[in-house]
Amino acid sequence: MTPILRLDGVSVTYRGEDGPHRAVVDANLTLRPGATLGLAGESGCGKTSLALAVLRLLPRSARVDGTILLDGHDIERLTWGELRAARWTSASVVFQGAMHALNPVRTVAEQIAEPIRLHSPERPAAARVRARVTELLEQVELPGARRDAYPHELSGGQRQRVMIAMALACDPRLIIADEPTTALDVVVQAQVLALLRRLVSERGIALLMISHDLSVLAASCRCLGVMYRGRLVEEGPARQLVATPEHEHTRALAAAFPTIGDEGSRYPGAGEPGESAGGVRGSLLAAEGVSVEFGDRYRNRVRAVRDVDLEVMGDEILALVGQSGSGKTTLARTLLGLCPPNAGTVYYEGRPLATSGRELRAFRGSVQLVLQDPTGALNPKHTVYEAVAEGLRVHGCADDEAVRVREALEAAELRPAEEFTARFPHELSGGQRQRVVIAGALVLRPRVLVADEPVASLDATVRGEILALLLRLRRERGLSALVITHDLGLAWNIADRVAVMRSGEIVETGPVERVLTEPRHDYTKELLAAVPSFEGSVS
Amino acid sequence: MTDTRDEFETSAASTGPPPLLRFVAAKAGGGVVSLFLVAVLGFFLFRVLPGDPARTMTRSTPVSAEQLAALRHRFGLDQPLYLQFRDFVIDLLHGDLGTSYIYNRPVAELILERVGPTVLLVGTATVLAVLVGLWMGARAAWHQGGPVDRWFTSVGLTLWSVPTFWLGLLALMAFGVGVGPLPGLFPVAGMSSANVPAGVVPHVLDVAHHLVLPCLTLVAVIYAQFMMVMRTSLLEEMGAEYLTTARAKGLREDLVRRRHAVPNALLPTVTLIFLHLGLVVAGAITVETVFSWPGLGLLTYEALRVPDLPLLQGTFIVLAGSVIVMNVLAELVYRLLDPRVRDS
Repeated sequence: MTPILRLDGVSVTYRGEDGPHRAVVDANLTLRPGATLGLAGESGCGKTSLALAVLRLLPRSARVDGTILLDGHDIERLTWGELRAARWTSASVVFQGAMHALNPVRTVAEQIAEPIRLHSPERPAAARVRARVTELLEQVELPGARRDAYPHELSGGQRQRVMIAMALACDPRLIIADEPTTALDVVVQAQVLALLRRLVSERGIALLMISHDLSVLAASCRCLGVMYRGRLVEEGPARQLVATPEHEHTRALAAAFPTIGDEGSRYPGAGEPGESAGGVRGSLLAAEGVSVEFGDRYRNRVRAVRDVDLEVMGDEILALVGQSGSGKTTLARTLLGLCPPNAGTVYYEGRPLATSGRELRAFRGSVQLVLQDPTGALNPKHTVYEAVAEGLRVHGCADDEAVRVREALEAAELRPAEEFTARFPHELSGGQRQRVVIAGALVLRPRVLVADEPVASLDATVRGEILALLLRLRRERGLSALVITHDLGLAWNIADRVAVMRSGEIVETGPVERVLTEPRHDYTKELLAAVPSFEGSVS
Repeated sequence: MTDTRDEFETSAASTGPPPLLRFVAAKAGGGVVSLFLVAVLGFFLFRVLPGDPARTMTRSTPVSAEQLAALRHRFGLDQPLYLQFRDFVIDLLHGDLGTSYIYNRPVAELILERVGPTVLLVGTATVLAVLVGLWMGARAAWHQGGPVDRWFTSVGLTLWSVPTFWLGLLALMAFGVGVGPLPGLFPVAGMSSANVPAGVVPHVLDVAHHLVLPCLTLVAVIYAQFMMVMRTSLLEEMGAEYLTTARAKGLREDLVRRRHAVPNALLPTVTLIFLHLGLVVAGAITVETVFSWPGLGLLTYEALRVPDLPLLQGTFIVLAGSVIVMNVLAELVYRLLDPRVRDS
């Protein structure tokens, strides 16, 4: 049987201003019809370049060496016409549809129908195209009524289903899925993965799936490959590769997705509150009976947070977990005093939160926020120094500004601080940027850090470093943290206690060990079941 | 967890479109309020100007104090300001914009006469400039950094930076009067000639002939802004991931551009185009003056020289009104083009 895809010594080189950059170096792989291969690696490891090279979708600045045989044809030798005919019929792509891979001003039906019309030998009847689109939407379990929706009217999971329907439109023999579930929350991710798995195995379609998340790949693909700095460093059956990783990078990737319940994947110091030097016991930041309502565009009242009691103790890391839309960010904003509750009270050190004036300002200084995306959180026109010093200036403590900025940078492990102060965000790596954001919070010497998905946009190895930093800050400074996340693994890694939130309510609270290993509420069980696990690998 | 379970987060948009009528009514209501504020502003703005209108009207002839008083009485200028304002508002509601000092005719009538020529000139020029500008902008962005881009951008920016009256005068001399052996190809002033045979076709041809120079002058000066906005906006879209999706589907490059990139890139230009359409009525005062085109711009220029307060006030209200109307229209069109705005 001819392989559907074969790469022979493929390299991808980008011409750049500072010389050529080799994104992929000498990659070899073979994919037989109906086979499934997962390609794992951090951002910038060349996995997307490799995928795009298969359909010659790379920008003009890229040069591809070696041979790529798609369905037995050398794609570098195809004319543009032949290549266009092969695109989507031989191989189609599922991009990260949750974000921007769909055209925002066209309905999903139009976008699904487009390749059907394009690749039909003669102009197909409108009714036939319509029937085919309906069929495809049914296959991805979307109601036919959503066909005339625009991408923004759909949820992330629904958009990803549209991407899958689109990829199936011309019955391809290979589907390349590039981060198909990134930016989806666990439960939706599990649904989308199951759907994709079922569709490719039913139709005998080969699947090349690319992700930074080893657990997602292990749950969907029979074989795995790990890429590191452009090279394919390890390859093998999923089970074996995960159980006995040989390359150290494979081990690092696997470590980023901890096995919940495994004591070995908890970070040193996690689950040991109250053992730090300067920590204070007792309730630091608390919500009592807090409800928050919003008016939506139809003037309906939406209760984002319902009657929530939550306490962040001194010297404690509390994880607030839940799906997107569960109200966890709204609750965090309320705790920060950024969003007044409709009912209930927020207490800081036992006193109700002031609504204005000096007291509120002092409170804001002691409770600091760290956001998910450090690139968006930093002003691209401000140097690191400006970014960190801004909080000091706002709070009017400018006397020893330079000293405190340096301290904060070093506390965030940006050493030596002098090397970073004059740099701009675009000159830093993702992990360094997140450290700058954290330094900006630390500079005010806060008591509580509220971190909203602090590592969601970071790579596996950097993720570990940032989490270790949070634990170290707790140990050395007694800094409490409220970590908001959809990632139960993250809670398992570092948190002392966990609160599970669903539809605006806290359904379960307790020590991490208890809640995540012996969940009492059905929803917690559901969340845990949705975490992709190596055990769930297809056999 | 099974596949069949409905997703937790569902879109609220499935409950049906928000009432369009309410949106239109709200926007139109806002427009009316702005229009009234403009009228009030116009009235007081021209009342605080220094100078005595009665004296300006009779500048060239010696008049007695009694004659001046009679004149003031006739135009209501001897009344207290609030009474004048009351009369102004009542008249305005009846569509009466007062009587021009210099023409001694109703302002509304004068403006109505001049609106046609202005809409013809500036409307034609704007439509041409939009078409040319958007097309060139799309081409320039698609071939960014290439010779097409460099030529389009540099020529466009040069013309944009040229003073309108100067370009108009050059065009007038080169193609109207004629340079050296070159005869004058186009008429130099006005909108029609006196000795044209009767009939619709000769009249239309004659007006079109008169239209060429002022229209091209205007197009040359304004098309670059549409081009630059389109270029920037398309460049922003060109990195978009949905274009990679479109290419992966096997679409030809020009289809990727036409079907996917341009419709998205057009959105920011809509606001600019409608702002310009609002200024259509304002006419291009300079172009109309240079080419003696009998439009609102020339009328405003004449009114300014006196100054003819009721006439200025009238043109002011009409100009501001058209900008407001076009802004309301722009919001409606934007809703049609961008589904994301429809739901917000």
